[in-house]
Amino acid sequence: MLSAFILLPVLGAILISLVPNTNPNQNRPRIIALLFGGVILLWNVILGFQFDPSQTAMQFTEYIPWISWLGFNYHLGLDGLSLPLLFLNSFLTLIAIYSSNVNIQRPRFYYALILLLSTGVAGAFLAQDLLLFFLFYELEIIPLYFLIAIWGGGRRTYAAMKFLIYTALSGILVLAAFLGLVWFSGASTFDYEPLREQVIPLGIQLWLLAALLVGLLIKIPIFPFHTWLPDAHVEASTPVSVLLAGVLLKLGTYGLLRFGVGLFFEAWITLAPWLATLAAISALYGAFAAIAQQDMKKVVAYSSIAHMAYVLLAASASTPLALTAAMFQMISHGLISALLFLLVGVVYKKTGTRDVNVLRGLLNPEKGLPIIGSLMILGVMASAGIPGMVGFIAEFLVFRAAFPIFPLQTLVCLVGTGLTAVYFLLMINKVFFGRLTESLSQLPQVDWGDRIPAIILALFIVILGLQPSWMVRWSETDATALVVSPSLLSQVAQAPDQALSLGDELSMNVLPSRSGNN
Amino acid sequence: MDFSSTVASQLNAGVILPEGLVIITLMVVLVGDIILGRNASRQLSYVAIAGLLGSVVALYFQWDNSQTIGFLGGFNGDNLSIVFRGTIVLSTAFTILMSIRYIQQSGTALAEFVSILLTATLGAMFLCGANDLVMIFLSLETLSISSYLLTGYTKRDPRSNEAALKYLLIGAASSAIFLYGVSLLYGLSGGEIRLDAIAAQLTDLSSGQSLGVAIALVFAIAGIAFKISAVPFHQWTPDVYEGSPTPVVAFLSVGSKAAGFALAIRLLVTVFGQVTPEWQFIFTALAVLSMILGNVVALAQTSMKRMLAYSSIAQAGFVMIGLVAGSDDGYASMVFYLFIYLFMNLGAFTCVILFSLRTGTDQIAEYSGLYQKDPLLTLALSICLLSLGGIPPLAGFFGKIYLFWVGWQAGLYGLVLLGLVTSVVSIYYYIRVVKMMVVKEPHEMSDTVKNYPPIRWNLPGMRPLQVGLVLSLVATTLAGILSNPLFNLANSSISNSSVFQTASTPVILSESIINRQSLSE
Amino acid sequence: MNLAEGVQIVSFGILAVMMLGAALGVVLLNQIVYSAFLLGGVFMSISGLYILLNADFVAAAQILIYVGAVNVLILFAIMLVNKKEEFKPVRNRWIRQGATALVCVGLLALLSTMVLATPWAVDTTTVNASSTIIQIGKHFFSDFLLPFELASVLLLMAMVGAIILARRDFIPERKATTTEVETALTLPERPRELSGS
Repeated sequence: MLSAFILLPVLGAILISLVPNTNPNQNRPRIIALLFGGVILLWNVILGFQFDPSQTAMQFTEYIPWISWLGFNYHLGLDGLSLPLLFLNSFLTLIAIYSSNVNIQRPRFYYALILLLSTGVAGAFLAQDLLLFFLFYELEIIPLYFLIAIWGGGRRTYAAMKFLIYTALSGILVLAAFLGLVWFSGASTFDYEPLREQVIPLGIQLWLLAALLVGLLIKIPIFPFHTWLPDAHVEASTPVSVLLAGVLLKLGTYGLLRFGVGLFFEAWITLAPWLATLAAISALYGAFAAIAQQDMKKVVAYSSIAHMAYVLLAASASTPLALTAAMFQMISHGLISALLFLLVGVVYKKTGTRDVNVLRGLLNPEKGLPIIGSLMILGVMASAGIPGMVGFIAEFLVFRAAFPIFPLQTLVCLVGTGLTAVYFLLMINKVFFGRLTESLSQLPQVDWGDRIPAIILALFIVILGLQPSWMVRWSETDATALVVSPSLLSQVAQAPDQALSLGDELSMNVLPSRSGNN
Repeated sequence: MDFSSTVASQLNAGVILPEGLVIITLMVVLVGDIILGRNASRQLSYVAIAGLLGSVVALYFQWDNSQTIGFLGGFNGDNLSIVFRGTIVLSTAFTILMSIRYIQQSGTALAEFVSILLTATLGAMFLCGANDLVMIFLSLETLSISSYLLTGYTKRDPRSNEAALKYLLIGAASSAIFLYGVSLLYGLSGGEIRLDAIAAQLTDLSSGQSLGVAIALVFAIAGIAFKISAVPFHQWTPDVYEGSPTPVVAFLSVGSKAAGFALAIRLLVTVFGQVTPEWQFIFTALAVLSMILGNVVALAQTSMKRMLAYSSIAQAGFVMIGLVAGSDDGYASMVFYLFIYLFMNLGAFTCVILFSLRTGTDQIAEYSGLYQKDPLLTLALSICLLSLGGIPPLAGFFGKIYLFWVGWQAGLYGLVLLGLVTSVVSIYYYIRVVKMMVVKEPHEMSDTVKNYPPIRWNLPGMRPLQVGLVLSLVATTLAGILSNPLFNLANSSISNSSVFQTASTPVILSESIINRQSLSE
Repeated sequence: MNLAEGVQIVSFGILAVMMLGAALGVVLLNQIVYSAFLLGGVFMSISGLYILLNADFVAAAQILIYVGAVNVLILFAIMLVNKKEEFKPVRNRWIRQGATALVCVGLLALLSTMVLATPWAVDTTTVNASSTIIQIGKHFFSDFLLPFELASVLLLMAMVGAIILARRDFIPERKATTTEVETALTLPERPRELSGS
């Protein structure tokens, strides 16, 4: 069942590369890619309906022994943490394929790479074996490297190489942590579940967790490991930026929740105040850096850094509520940043520039880009946390969960949220309001093809903003299971609608020692 | 008792059946070349490949043989040696595939080339199973002398001459040092030449023997490190790799290196079992230096062959992690990695040969934009290089994981971390080549690629190149995913070999050996 | 000490001095022909040492092969290459020589320490000198059979290799029919451009 997410894209990539080069119909690779993307998304929705959110155990597990001498098994499983991200991946992959330039150079290679990227990410979200996670985590590097290096902007080679080196470094740190964990815990396999019971001295745990953290913080990215991200975003083409911001960064935060919190809980608690502080610094840094940017894409890229820091903040609080909030913030950021990058892409395609000092008055209903502009304003509002949209719920949850534990850091992050409104309003104000300059008045028509993906994303943003429990119900059980003993868990399972409040109490009562930590 | 019948009954000559097949093939090639003339040389090289494959089959049937000692203790055909011999034979078969066109295009005689290559193979195979000092040295020399000849094979080319001379001088010096170390072993053990007998004599190190053993160890390691081109015994590698005919380089980087590692395992584990911490320390230093220097210097190379030379130094450094680990798993990981390395490295060399045959150059910059003209070559070279860099799910990834995991289990945290970091560095220079081929736009294409000749596989000698290319491509892609049988093979080759049992408790095979005293009467 | 042992020690001393003196001459003399002849002296002294060890066959083989074949070959090579070349004196040569000497002396000190410190397992059994050839033959066809046979392959290949290196090659005429690069007796790769050009 779950292998379909890994095998289908690979199959699609192979099919695409088998399309003869001389074929006059250059659209065939795109059609095949869309087909496969659609089938994967459909499969994901079907799985979602069969998924039982009240269970904490992995569902639809697949287990094939792979390399017995290493204790390395092909073990997939789906739970509430991975399902929403898996869905996000399938969904954004389809959107990225759809919004790619129809007349793109070397279409076969391009679409094959996007499908391979989807394989890597889906595999990492599904892996229940540490080495398998690492395998997929590394697998995604090469397709993304090519996607940036071939179809990127002017400094694409530099940006792609920077991305490659940073991510490869992050990979080996993660691997070192995994090897150390399995070795010191004396486990015979790299299987995830048995390792959760490990009892390693706290000192070693701290070392291992530090390696894992640095690796994952590079990927998220959190200040000061973030420098690859703005370059990669600016140089990447729009669909690749969508995937990068929407899905790939989530590999880092997913790793934090799944492996950081899940495997090293004791050490995690010890390090949590520092992590929260780092998150606060990163949020402020991202916000201030975004204010200074002139390039729309860079503004969005730095806002990504700031918003991913909230995930870290929530994860460091590590109460059930906070982890649910972290999941929600990941999904929300995935949707919002994807929308923003898409829209910036459309603006760039139509006007030929992303410079906020050049663009003016694009909201002009006659000659400008009114619908795109409106969607942009909606996206920005969502990002700044205006109620009624998914961003508000996510940030509210994060701050609500983190405040009792790390009040100071949360307050700093709140300032960061306020700054979000500042830099996005600055950008919107310059780009969309005011008088449309002459040079921009002859813009080509925006066809519906460009609008549809953005509208769908906007719909999701609004719907989840109005009805957050549709999202929360998937992950709260498993978020709780990560940090709480099984007995409390059954309570949650019996009364799923009270889970949020229950989790909140837990943070106050069951684990009171942590509130004194900061 | 009749001398000849006694000896004949104890020889157990069947253990060298694979080598016998290689010798017969060698004779067929040499004599056939004389009788049939130059036109038949291509057919003769196919005969050579058939003979080598026959040898692999013979090796297969010797797996788990109960009687592994042959020639009165001179040769040990245990599973460990079978795995290494198999690797070497396969690498030679691949090398012949890729050399047919290359050698013909350089205008030199093919049949002689193949026969010298077969002799080198023979030496390497005997080296893997050699169980006494004379056998070790003689097979080492067979391998070395054939390698010198191969290196200088295109004798009108000054680069080839220079390479051969350098290789000969440094090689002869290292052989001499190795011989000195081995002669010390002979003296220290009181005139024993069989490895297990020497080990039995060297058990008591407290009584002043330690200095002698230490010097013997250092000298023996100097000889071995030359063969596996570990830093600081690597100086010959870049020049020889650049100047020699490329198929020879392919053989040197895989076959010769595998033989060196086989020798290292057998000699160090059997004879120097008493001083294990010492040789592990030396090899740790060699591994650290090789990984750092090989990977860092490879960054700056502009010639593909030189880059592969430094990369092979670095890869030897990775393999040494398994040796330093010193456990059964460690040796198994070496076997596994070398087996995988065979395919990916020979695949890369096949691509380099193909490109140089078509364009006449091996500069990395000349590869730019190749994807437009030759997709198959681009794909194969990319896959092989990425596999060398350890990108999943290719074979090299699994090999490296195994090595690192074993190293970690043995507590070599620093070495493993260094290996991890340097493998990131290696990804950088491997991907630089891939970037040249794949990423460059059509207008950035190099002149060489612009004038790329139309791809014709039907030219004489091209078909075997194509076969080698596709085989190594498939093997590199699938050997990782389907690696469990290979893992089992590697592990059982170690666990069933007598070396690792006799290392602790030497067994004297007195019943099968003619007593020295009885001979002298 | 009886007479035989005394003679043995004296002859050993003479042979050792001869060998070391000749070897030093090989290295230090400027005329290469002298060096070559002195090399013959070294081989002869070594063969004398073999005789002291009761290894008559090895001694004879040493003279036959090393003096009779190898050394004569070297002399021929020297005489056939009749080329005069002026070598420029290397500046600061004494630094190199000093460093070399230092390394060599250090190595010598190390090895002599090792030789003196190690209790060698000396074989005291006397060997019947009349039958060394038979013994060697028995060894060759029993426990040294494999090296013996391998050596034959090695020699064969050395011969083939020597012929290949020495023979005059038939250079095929360049055919302009193929589209690919034609090279004769060189590597198919072009030589590397020098970095300065």
